[in-house]
Amino acid sequence: MATTAGQAPVASHGQETHGKKHGLNAELIAMLLFIGSELMLFASLFTAYFFIRYGVANETWPPLKKDGEPFELPVLLTGINTAILVGSSFTLWWGEKCLKAGDRQGLIRGLWITILMGGTFLLIQLNEYAHLGFTPQDRAFSGAFYTLTGFHGAHVAVGLIVLSMCLRRAYKNDFTATNHTPLAAGSYYWHFVDIVWVLLFLLVYVI
Amino acid sequence: MATHSPAHAPAGPGGHVHHEDPRPVSYWWRRAFVGVIFGVLGSFLLVFLLRALFGMTPLWDGGVMAGVAGLLGGIGFLWGIGCFDTWLSWARGNPLTEDHSFHGVSNWKQYFRINTDHKVIGIQYLAMTLFFMVCGGIMALLIRTELAAPGQQIADGQTYNGLLSMHATLMIFVFAVPVFGGIANYVLPIMIGAKDMAFPRLNALSFWFLPVAGFMFLAAAFVGWFGAAWTAYPPLASQGLEGQTLFELGVQFAGASSIATAINFLATLITMRAPGMTIWRMPILAWATGVTSVLAVFATPFIAGSQFLTMFDRLMGTNFFVPDQGGDVIMYQLIFWFYSHPAVYIMLLPGFGIISEVIATFARKPLFGYRAMAFSLVAIAVLGFGVWAHHMFVSGMAAWLRVPMMVTTIIIAVPTGVKMWSWLATLWRGKIHMKPPMLWALGFLFTFLIGGLSGVFNGIVPADIHVSDTYFVTAHLHYVLYGGTVYTVFAGIYYWFPKATGRMLNERLSQWHFWLTFIGTQITFMPMHWQGLQGMPRRVADYDPRFELVNSIETVGSYMLGIATIIFFYNVYWSLKHGDRASWNPWRGRTLEWMVSSPPPLFNFDVIPQVVGGPYQYGIKDARHAVVFAPEEFGGELTEDTRYPVLVIANEALSSQTLVDEIRSRNADGLWSFEILVPLGDSDRVIAERRLATTLAALSEYGVSATGRVAEGDVVAVGGAEGKARQPHEIVVATLPLNSSAWMRQDAVDRIRKASGNVPTTHFIVNGDDARAIGAASSLPLTMIVATEAVGAEALAAAVMARSDAQPGRFSIVCPLDLPQPRWGVESSEIRRDAGERMTATVNALVSSGVQVQGEVMDDGPAAALPLAIDALKPAQIVIAGVNGEARALAEAAAAAAGDIPVDTVNLGAHAGS
Repeated sequence: MATTAGQAPVASHGQETHGKKHGLNAELIAMLLFIGSELMLFASLFTAYFFIRYGVANETWPPLKKDGEPFELPVLLTGINTAILVGSSFTLWWGEKCLKAGDRQGLIRGLWITILMGGTFLLIQLNEYAHLGFTPQDRAFSGAFYTLTGFHGAHVAVGLIVLSMCLRRAYKNDFTATNHTPLAAGSYYWHFVDIVWVLLFLLVYVI
Repeated sequence: MATHSPAHAPAGPGGHVHHEDPRPVSYWWRRAFVGVIFGVLGSFLLVFLLRALFGMTPLWDGGVMAGVAGLLGGIGFLWGIGCFDTWLSWARGNPLTEDHSFHGVSNWKQYFRINTDHKVIGIQYLAMTLFFMVCGGIMALLIRTELAAPGQQIADGQTYNGLLSMHATLMIFVFAVPVFGGIANYVLPIMIGAKDMAFPRLNALSFWFLPVAGFMFLAAAFVGWFGAAWTAYPPLASQGLEGQTLFELGVQFAGASSIATAINFLATLITMRAPGMTIWRMPILAWATGVTSVLAVFATPFIAGSQFLTMFDRLMGTNFFVPDQGGDVIMYQLIFWFYSHPAVYIMLLPGFGIISEVIATFARKPLFGYRAMAFSLVAIAVLGFGVWAHHMFVSGMAAWLRVPMMVTTIIIAVPTGVKMWSWLATLWRGKIHMKPPMLWALGFLFTFLIGGLSGVFNGIVPADIHVSDTYFVTAHLHYVLYGGTVYTVFAGIYYWFPKATGRMLNERLSQWHFWLTFIGTQITFMPMHWQGLQGMPRRVADYDPRFELVNSIETVGSYMLGIATIIFFYNVYWSLKHGDRASWNPWRGRTLEWMVSSPPPLFNFDVIPQVVGGPYQYGIKDARHAVVFAPEEFGGELTEDTRYPVLVIANEALSSQTLVDEIRSRNADGLWSFEILVPLGDSDRVIAERRLATTLAALSEYGVSATGRVAEGDVVAVGGAEGKARQPHEIVVATLPLNSSAWMRQDAVDRIRKASGNVPTTHFIVNGDDARAIGAASSLPLTMIVATEAVGAEALAAAVMARSDAQPGRFSIVCPLDLPQPRWGVESSEIRRDAGERMTATVNALVSSGVQVQGEVMDDGPAAALPLAIDALKPAQIVIAGVNGEARALAEAAAAAAGDIPVDTVNLGAHAGS
């Protein structure tokens, strides 16, 4: 059998006969390419955002809402939220490090903390939506804001699902110190989601 | 047929019995139906609940519901058809099963269910994309019918917009972009020596995205079309017809398919190449697929982004493209073309790869500039990301962007030119086989060249401003996409059809298909250049009456294209039922897919092959691309013993060493059998047969399998008729040099090529001395004939001929002269001269009768001369041809010198002396 239960859901064929050892296996290469593709999706949305931002920059920045007030974004609260999300990357890294040292309980702890922090981030973000005082329909800027943060939020949600599946696998003792491709792929994805958020925070909230 | 036919029973590579999933096709389609229903109803409910929750009015918003229903209905279909089953099972905590039960097909119906076998997926992909090509083609014919005359024929303006939008959308998103995914899916894993793609289940999902996308586009025709063309510029797209939502969703599904396939190809190419398959040994198609995949992975998200934004504007009321709300319509065009220009290369580069394969194979030459070909693909891809705004010179975008984009656009012509010249250089002095794939490749070179050149024209800002949105652009893009996509796809289909189906396509129908398409293309699109320069706008249902004549001619051309396509599908149908059985390697290709059976076994290779050389070493002696091993029970290396015939036509030049050596060197390829034809013309049959026998014996000594016969008729008649009947790989016409060959004065080679129906014909020149020298058959035993008085006598010649006929070989006549002293005296000279003349007469008579013979007059008596002669000639046999009394003396001298060489004596009788 080419694959065992612990490996990625999409298993490759016939590689056992190749006898090659790669630092990156096909699953992780695929995840990196997928992340590249996702980065380009966010790049297209950032492009839209910058066109809108510099299209109206001739007037004022931040732009004005339909009611004439400027858009205001809660930078401090979101900054704290950013710290939570970035922190979750480190807790995931710590969990993986525990697994590589053979400590499965450490991995489970790391995953739990990461998932809780990610969930907290999403809740704070939804709360922010509820209190922003403008809707996607307000002006082009608000559409770009909700699209960017909404796409990111959806990615966080997907990341949480992936990590939950990894957590379940960790409880079933499917990951070993040397064989944990799905976990590694999930953690690549999680780090990507974090990095995109840092970019988003800097480009949309801060500057 | 091949020596070994791989069989998978009883045990597959994993040591388990292969069994198919038992559920019938209908089960999956029932589930898919349920999935769609649930998806659609669920989305209605979801939208309703969410709108109620947030207090939106109205509660029932048809547009939003249609959008969500399209998305969830599509996902429901994918679930129902079984794309997610294994993953969901894994997510529930079950162990992964890998029993390959979704691999392979046992009957045609199973092509309609989910399958994880890359070969099945390849065919599913191709069939699906060709289906959409036909749908898009019907739209095109309707468009041409509408444009056949000014005024309204069959469609009003709104329907016309719908038709042209649908035509372009189907052709681009579900034909031109994914069709190469089908071809590459089939051949790429085999080409690189892999058993399947890296992610077979992801591969299946990529395929099933396609029907979702394509039928979503088609469904738009029933809910009110989409009329913003395939470019879907806002504000038209964000306000337009109801079908636009389905367009936007369909593009997302098609894009997801594209990205997933591309990731799969890249992972396969990176991790699953056979041992020895370094990147510089990969076929160019593998390079092209890899480069295209990089483009697809990194560019496709941009069109996803652009369609999300227009959809949000349509359905959610955002203001991305509403200028008075701070939106920007130019932004859409930039994002859209940032994908859609690289997408042009997604539609072309794999075609370039296919053409490289086809041209090298059918020109029988190594691909010219292999590395330049690979690097130019990379260069096109990299530059392709930097030219997008040349589609927008008149859009009102930032003016400073024009010139840089013009420069990069024109620079792209450089790597493309590298490819064009490399293909031409590959053709140059190749042995061109005008088989259907090659016809398409040459048609591609012609058609794409025109499209490429008008592309440079379009890239220049002032020229582009003049021709923007005119038929000049229509002509350009159709020349590019017909040449670069349609022709290359057909080249690929004709090239690999025998591999995939085990049947050859019908030659006559194939020719009709090609020529009708080729002529139809030129008739349809060539006049559009003129129309465009004259200012006829594109995408408009009506036009100025002065364009009526060209438009009606173009409509006729487009009908030719339609008829050609019908012929193609009939050809496929007919050939699948009645076509000749294809051998493993009908085109004598060198890449790995030609080293497995046709069709290939379930997992392609029983043992992963070892690659040992480049893929295009045509005509290079002893060069090999890969070693394919048979399973242990068959033992050793997998070889082919199907040997295609090479006809060798020769008479006077036949028994020369140079020709024998030429045949031997061709034989070293291990691919051919040789058939020697000796056209009699008005020469003597006996002589011809003798020459043939000698040559065949010599070849057989060298281990070359050759047959031969003497044929009535002249060289052109024999070569033409046999060439036509046998369809050999090649005809080699061997002659004496031009000035001494009777045949060549009559253009024999060209006439044979024509008479045989374009079988590649090579002219091989043997010089006269070679033709006469006895080295000719140096592998054959040499018989030394010792004669003195008999030299010059007819009896001697007859005796040698009889021996040659009994057993072909080489003969050397030695004439030892017992000269009187002094040897420089007058008497000796007389004797020597006399003997020399007689020897010349005998040798000439024998050579012109086809015997391999030489003669030598020696200045010593037999006792002294024979040891020297034996030492020099190393004969296998000695024959004493004596006249009466002298025979005994000669025989005694010979016996003394011969050692263990057998000595034979013939008595030529008393009157044989001169």
